Amino acid sequence: MLRFFACALLLPLCSLGQQNKLIVKPGQTLTVKRGETAKESTTVSVLPGFHVNSDKPKDEFLIPLKLTWNPGPLQAISARYPKSEDIKVGNQILAVFTGSFNIETQFKALPQAPVGPATITGKLRYQACNNEMCFRPSTAEVSLPVVVEAQ
Amino acid sequence: MSVWKGSLGLSLTAALLLLSSCTQTQEVRAASAKPESERKAAPDFKLKDADGQTVSLSDYRGKVVLLNFWATWCGPCALEIPWFEEFEQQYKSHGFEVLGVSMDDDGWSAVKPYIAAHKMNYRILLGNDSVAQLYGGLDALPTTFILDREGRIAFTPHVGLVNKDDYLSEIQELLGLKRTNASLFRVRPPLAALFPRPAE
Repeated sequence: MLRFFACALLLPLCSLGQQNKLIVKPGQTLTVKRGETAKESTTVSVLPGFHVNSDKPKDEFLIPLKLTWNPGPLQAISARYPKSEDIKVGNQILAVFTGSFNIETQFKALPQAPVGPATITGKLRYQACNNEMCFRPSTAEVSLPVVVEAQ
Repeated sequence: MSVWKGSLGLSLTAALLLLSSCTQTQEVRAASAKPESERKAAPDFKLKDADGQTVSLSDYRGKVVLLNFWATWCGPCALEIPWFEEFEQQYKSHGFEVLGVSMDDDGWSAVKPYIAAHKMNYRILLGNDSVAQLYGGLDALPTTFILDREGRIAFTPHVGLVNKDDYLSEIQELLGLKRTNASLFRVRPPLAALFPRPAE
């Protein structure tokens, strides 16, 4: 009850920052033969007016953007992030992503992966800011349809 | 008569244009504190500081408090920290304290090195979701409240980066200090100056 009243008093603050600051769209169905590799491109669109830290922020305290995939019939071998852009905040240079960009993941189908359709899931962890404020680190769920074929 | 009306119309238009141009240069009078009858008590909390000591907000009754919610990963928060250090140093003897509440999920392992790196001279507490809920969620940082000596929120909370002089004038008002000219009338630097467009 106390929280309700506190929130009511501070209502303008309650509505800030709740929604995602980006949209994640995985590529189309990925078809891979057992034991082979394939690349997938996940599109990330940061909402206008916002930026997210790149995968390699210049300050050790900043939270990098990172795409991770859960174990499944495909194993993520490597991820390739785009080149970041530099923006100046006060006297600090930040390496950020804005707008739309792609993250390429190379997958390998396990030799014993079951043949047929499946879905692999992942998480995109990010931390977004706009010109005046930053928003708490967030995680966007990603799911990718895959088809594993026999060799 | 019609000439007089025309002159009056022109004068009014000129006055409106003048007012409009003043607004565009962003020369504004600093906000005044809410009337005491309209001030709400800041929700109390108990949190640990970097030395492991439990601190209650209510311990600060009798002091003017700048309560700043921040995080180590927050760029605009970092810009404000030197201001707060300066305020703490300048006004501590007048009964003023800065209280920083870190909202870092990684806890002291992230916050202590940051305190050391920035040589922060004011008390830092480690926040949690319960305190965040008490203060409206705190999804956006920095969020800062200026509290009067009775622990009440004296001004509209600041969400996001604001002008240093906004804080200064509010602190000075609550401390009963004569406001400097700079804090009575200040020209707000455009945020674009702090956040230039990304390099092409």
